[in-house]
Amino acid sequence: MEYSQAEILQTVRMTEMEHLDVRTVTLGLSLRDCAGDSIERTAERVRAKIERTAERLVSTVDGISDELGISVANKRISITPASHVAGGAQSVADCLTLARAIDEAATRVGVDFLGGYSALVQKGWTNVEDLFLASIPEALATTKRLCSSVNVATTRAGINMDAVARVGRLIKEAAELTRDQGGLACAKFVCFANAVEDNPFMAGAFHGTGEGEAVINVGVSGPGVVNHAVRHAPRDMPLHELAELIKKLSFKLARAGELVGREAARRLGLRFGIIDLSLAPTPLRGDSVAEIIEAFGFERAGAPGTTAALALLTDAVKKGGAMASSAVGGMSGAFIPVSEDAAMIDAARVGALTLEKLEAWTSVCSVGLDMIAVPGATSAETIAAIIADEMAIGVMNTKTTAVRIIPAPGKVVGDMVEFGGLLGTAPVMAVNSFNCADFIRRGGYIPAPVQSLRN
Amino acid sequence: MANEELIYRITRAVYGRLGAQADERTVENLVTDIYRAIEPVVDAAGNGGGDAGGRTSGGARRGLTAHGGEAEGSSNRLIVSVFGVDHPGIVAGVAQILAESGCSIADINQTVVQGKFAMVIIADSTNSNAPVGTLKERFRAAGDKLGVRIYAQREDLFNAMHRI
Repeated sequence: MEYSQAEILQTVRMTEMEHLDVRTVTLGLSLRDCAGDSIERTAERVRAKIERTAERLVSTVDGISDELGISVANKRISITPASHVAGGAQSVADCLTLARAIDEAATRVGVDFLGGYSALVQKGWTNVEDLFLASIPEALATTKRLCSSVNVATTRAGINMDAVARVGRLIKEAAELTRDQGGLACAKFVCFANAVEDNPFMAGAFHGTGEGEAVINVGVSGPGVVNHAVRHAPRDMPLHELAELIKKLSFKLARAGELVGREAARRLGLRFGIIDLSLAPTPLRGDSVAEIIEAFGFERAGAPGTTAALALLTDAVKKGGAMASSAVGGMSGAFIPVSEDAAMIDAARVGALTLEKLEAWTSVCSVGLDMIAVPGATSAETIAAIIADEMAIGVMNTKTTAVRIIPAPGKVVGDMVEFGGLLGTAPVMAVNSFNCADFIRRGGYIPAPVQSLRN
Repeated sequence: MANEELIYRITRAVYGRLGAQADERTVENLVTDIYRAIEPVVDAAGNGGGDAGGRTSGGARRGLTAHGGEAEGSSNRLIVSVFGVDHPGIVAGVAQILAESGCSIADINQTVVQGKFAMVIIADSTNSNAPVGTLKERFRAAGDKLGVRIYAQREDLFNAMHRI
């Protein structure tokens, strides 16, 4: 037989028992030809283009998933940052018209999320982007599938602290508008440093301006597979051997993901873009990044040494994946969304995992402080300052970092906030309560670091 | 690369004429036919600049026919794996479904260790009269009846994961 029984068994075990799946097939779609002189015209063109291009996305991907016997968890769309096509907007209400048109189109084609209600303001915002930023809280509160992101910093431009302060206020407003859902709108918003243009994962996906007309990007995932392997390895296996083990698995995960992506692109008559190697957990037991870390030899995720373990894990995943595919892109690391990872929730509840430790983790993995609920009383300035810290890590280390934080209205430390589905359940975590408001009120920008001068 | 671009453009044109709800198989056959018809001209014109014409067209051909023909793309082959507690009739039950669906068995490997039954079949579905979905549904029902787990996955997945 062409394959050994062990090989066949391994694949079946991965796909059927260890939750190996393709986390998302994301159609990246340019809307740059949709901009019109009035917002109604733009909205109509945007709606028509999304519906036309993505009409067969869900059924095609489901068909491939069925044939290959590997599940594809989500079908999504990322679009050109909407602020780039909102040129005809005269008011916040105009931006909301566009937001609703996009959301309706996403609903009609059956995708679960659509990302790209976004603005890139690392150096400043235009008049239209000013209106656009103001529209984000209500846009997220009044739509179901729309996701939004704002890039406030790059290594080249430094950190736009005016934008950081504004995003802090925006997050508070979004939380208030969805008070009865635990601040759900904030779970669909992410703030970036060094945002990538081909990210297939939500909430931060958008179709960059350097991208082509339409591409298929794939986010593969398999924390369950890696977790199983690390747990079944001898307890005294040296770390470099564990790294080898993870590398080999990552290679196989990436190959499976690329197969799905290329097949989907072929059947849809689109180009294949990239595969994002990120290990992304789900709320399912075992399908957890924190459990992998714990399997390295820790009582709980967040213990001293876990930053080193996460660094090893992320690097091994990248090395294996890079060998498997010539089209690696997106974030490609390990995600640490607290509410979406069962073992991370447990670690936070018993006090092993704190906001500060998570911040340290983000310096060695993608992507940042992700799906973290904090007390509703946390001020906009404190949220902005948390963002500023995270942006600084990204800018100074020339990597992508992000913040997706939910100041859950009316909740205090120890409460749980339920977002449902893949977004999971977030434990409300403690925030350092010492005041930082005067720092944020200074405004201005943090100049680009010397490593931006590379030419 | 140049030919992938061409296939992309043909596919868009076909969908443009027939509408997005056009049958996937029909579109694929049409694109294959059109491409084959113009392929000699494209190759002769050395389309693709730096790319070796033969190599790109070979790649494109493989990509195109992977769904409906060639052994190398092998997407017509399924790996059927069956696990469970051993008892008489499992092989017969699975083989019967394959036979009824017009699939031939290319390779078969079966073992029993300490009462645990394990079987892997490589089945060729080139002349199959049933879509994969239907086949999988039949396997699921038979698995329930026989008290075993039956998985059917396209060979491509195993090839991608275990072969470089």
